[in-house]
Amino acid sequence: MTRLLRAELLKVLTTRLLLWLGLLVIAFEVLIIALRVGHDSFDSLAEPGNQRDIVSIAGIAVLISLILGIVASAGEYSHGTISHTLLVAPVRERVSLAKLTSAALAGAFLALVSVVFAWGFAALLLAARSIPLHVASHTTLNVGLGTIGAAAIAGVLGAGFGLLLRRQTAAIVVALVWLLVGEPLLSIAGVQRYAPGHAIAAVVEAGNQSSELLGFGAGLAVALLYAAAAATLGTIALKRTDVN
Amino acid sequence: MADAAPVEVRELTKRYGSTTAVDGLSFTIRRGAITGFLGPNGAGKSTTLRALLGLVHPTAGDARVEGAPYAKLHDPLGTVGAVLESESFHPGRSGRNHLRVQAAAAGLPAERVDEVLATVELTDAARRRVGGYSLGMRQRLSVAGALLGKPRLLVLDEPANGLDPEGIRWLRTFLRTFAADGGTVLISSHVLPEVAQIVDEVVIIHRGRLVAQEPLEALTARSAAGAVVVKSPEAARLHEALSRAGLEVVPVGDTELRVAGAAERVGEVAAAEGIVLHELRTEGASLEEVFLELTGGET
Repeated sequence: MTRLLRAELLKVLTTRLLLWLGLLVIAFEVLIIALRVGHDSFDSLAEPGNQRDIVSIAGIAVLISLILGIVASAGEYSHGTISHTLLVAPVRERVSLAKLTSAALAGAFLALVSVVFAWGFAALLLAARSIPLHVASHTTLNVGLGTIGAAAIAGVLGAGFGLLLRRQTAAIVVALVWLLVGEPLLSIAGVQRYAPGHAIAAVVEAGNQSSELLGFGAGLAVALLYAAAAATLGTIALKRTDVN
Repeated sequence: MADAAPVEVRELTKRYGSTTAVDGLSFTIRRGAITGFLGPNGAGKSTTLRALLGLVHPTAGDARVEGAPYAKLHDPLGTVGAVLESESFHPGRSGRNHLRVQAAAAGLPAERVDEVLATVELTDAARRRVGGYSLGMRQRLSVAGALLGKPRLLVLDEPANGLDPEGIRWLRTFLRTFAADGGTVLISSHVLPEVAQIVDEVVIIHRGRLVAQEPLEALTARSAAGAVVVKSPEAARLHEALSRAGLEVVPVGDTELRVAGAAERVGEVAAAEGIVLHELRTEGASLEEVFLELTGGET
């Protein structure tokens, strides 16, 4: 199992995908944080809650981790490399477990980089404007840890979903449409907080919940439930699939 | 399972909806031999090989490697090396990186990657991205992957597809060397002249069913397309005698005849007439002729 996990991590780390996604996250953070710090007033930026909001832009890594998970699993079908993988490791449950685990680790790593950069860049710009720093506050640290945990969950969710659909582009499009259109529509019925995107957002917020989200504990439980369901269905799909 | 056949296919059936790709197919291959796995396009060759390698789930029956289903092999890469038809690679990874991933999953050292790259003469291109490889280089990379675990059996699905003459010659030499070192090879192909030069035995399937399995020489010799070649200084008189005996004769030059029938019968007729023979031999049909005969002309 360790060998398979090492091989899956090698796949993720040795293509340029992780690098490009990491650069995308950082570029997004630079843009948003610079605009926010450059535009907001001194008093507004001095408030700990607003500084926490600025750092929470690192949560974009959670969405990117979802996509990374999809690409790591469905990409094997798109590139036709799944046969190589299964020839080396014919017990498919192990392959699935290795993929899910590597997606969780890669997502957590991406989120760690995202949080550290957002924190450091925000601190740099705030200090440049001589604004008292609260970015190391308890609530901000919680958001950082929540983002890393949520990214790991999103990675598993993405990898499981990718194994289930087996088509990389279709899986990404379905996931994005669901998050951007499907979940907002659920708000009409008032049940959006139980949807996967909102449940993961509750983990990111880590106790700083808005009224639209579940509490941290409930959000974590629901998010883990979705991830487990995706992982299980993805594993079943991989086990049953004929690789032609 | 050292005594088990390298490959054993038993009553294998695979259906895709209403289409039957493989229909109750059974055969085994001999250890240490190069076995050609032949059939027209759509005969079920690739499906059979993929079922053997655990990539396709049989509808009925099974396919075993050294007595076990592929998924139960303790050391898959050390048992079987596979080159699948139209293999795909991640275009952004280098050839070396592709093999490193496989080696890591199999617990093989990175040095083994460099060894197999040297074996397939890809060392110079090892760090280039696979997206820039030619078809021949990709095929060599596939072979390198198949060799990683130092397998006892090679399973190759249409490995000559897209190879230039130099690549085909390289592959032929490589397979002969592999077999000479004690390895077993199962190679599917529709490039019949190429296969005829390297295989010891053939398994021919058509519409998912077994049509023939025997040593190459026996198959071509027994075929109706084969002929008896006889040379005699009295070829004209022999021609008349054989025709009177009801044999179909075609003269080739002044001293040679080609006769449809058994060599024994030709010899008996010549002896009865007191005709001197300088040569009497059976000329087998080419594998391609036999193949076309057995599969009704489909390729």
